[in-house]
Amino acid sequence: MDCREFQELITEAVDKRLHTPIEHHFSAHADTCPSCRNEFERERITKSVVHSKVQHQDVPNDVSESLLAAVENLRPASRNWLTIIFGETFLNPAVALVALLFVAVGAVSLLQKNNAVPLASNRNIITQSLNNYSAAMTGALKPTLISHDASDVKDYLSKDTPFDVSVATLDDCDWCGGVLSEIDGVRLVHVVYKIGGEGLLYVYQVDMNEALRGNKIGLPENAKASLAKTGWYFEQTPDRCNVVLWRHKNTLCAAVSKIGRDKMIALLSEKDPW
Amino acid sequence: MFGFFLTVLNPSHSLHKEFEREAIPHSDILYNYALRMTGNADDARDLLQETFLKAFRFWDKYEKGTNVRAWLFRIMKNTYINVYRKAVKEPDTVDYNDIQNFYNVIRESSADANDLQEKLFGHLLDDDVTKALEALPEEFRTVVILCDIEGLTYEEIAEFVECPVGTVRSRLHRGRKLLYATLFEYAKKRGFVGKD
Repeated sequence: MDCREFQELITEAVDKRLHTPIEHHFSAHADTCPSCRNEFERERITKSVVHSKVQHQDVPNDVSESLLAAVENLRPASRNWLTIIFGETFLNPAVALVALLFVAVGAVSLLQKNNAVPLASNRNIITQSLNNYSAAMTGALKPTLISHDASDVKDYLSKDTPFDVSVATLDDCDWCGGVLSEIDGVRLVHVVYKIGGEGLLYVYQVDMNEALRGNKIGLPENAKASLAKTGWYFEQTPDRCNVVLWRHKNTLCAAVSKIGRDKMIALLSEKDPW
Repeated sequence: MFGFFLTVLNPSHSLHKEFEREAIPHSDILYNYALRMTGNADDARDLLQETFLKAFRFWDKYEKGTNVRAWLFRIMKNTYINVYRKAVKEPDTVDYNDIQNFYNVIRESSADANDLQEKLFGHLLDDDVTKALEALPEEFRTVVILCDIEGLTYEEIAEFVECPVGTVRSRLHRGRKLLYATLFEYAKKRGFVGKD
């Protein structure tokens, strides 16, 4: 074996992958060539130092738990109650029949309870958005899924939602999250963005036609007129909370935040031009 | 039969069970890879979570019976490239030719020094080695992590990074050379080896 052949085998020798006859030739060359032996030793030492100094770490328990919870949260929200009832511990048919009866009687109320999100009794969409923004700020409204990837949140919120959900990839956004709720059978989508150094941006979404009908969700006349004329509506509350309404396909979106109006519009219009 | 009835009623239940059984057990190696690539536990946790959320979303695309660990690893690597690499300041670029020259010089030094050198390198701080590892170019760092820390075979690594076994070997060789050069500098700074 010459030096060139030896060089080519160094890495596999360090990782003990050489077959016996080749290994003998390799060792014989190392014994007679200090330079090659040095190179082999240096690679061996490097592997040994990395292996001993950078230890494999077990996944912390809380990481495992949050991982399972996050995956679990991807289950469509409307199916949670089915899972509870038809879980593996309920394989006994008699128990399942009782469960079926329970489902028939209580499914709707249970579903609504599971999806409960603080909502104002006032059906005005602007008032509701402001109240939900406050709830998000205090933690009373919690996203059931949080991700750095807007598409994860969008996919999660879009399941079983009869209108287009808007979750934009915003600049300076640390994370975004979402939660679903219903009010009198009307699906509502809530998206929360954490904007680095600026606070929260909350976006309320509902079917545009539902909002225009006004039976269950109300849209003030001035906002309706502005939306029809310009495609958007802006309002600032006395405590300097900015509300922006716009249309995204067949969806009415209402964004609330205390970040400046211009920044808010720049953020949203860049990704979702209205 | 009742099980079938349950599955029909609630397919997401069996999907979750299957995912938890097949994919979640690999969180250990993925967490460690994430830790070494991002350099901190918080980002590693986020990267791990995003990887599994994506994996679950595309679980129907995973070809049953193939290497699920390699599939998950590729999702993590792509997520890292798309999200984290942009946010992290790239380490100073290492000129491999400079390292090669350095290596050719020290290659001629005395073989007797190796035992001593192993002991001296053993005195390096864990943080020094971690820092040297994090400074490696990404393609070299990946194979060094998978081989020298996680103990994967060349064949497994080749499947993970989707390249031939020969490429894994050459990346390992070059990665370890770069690491050695960095560690040698750290050892000099700490006075473990001579300044010359």
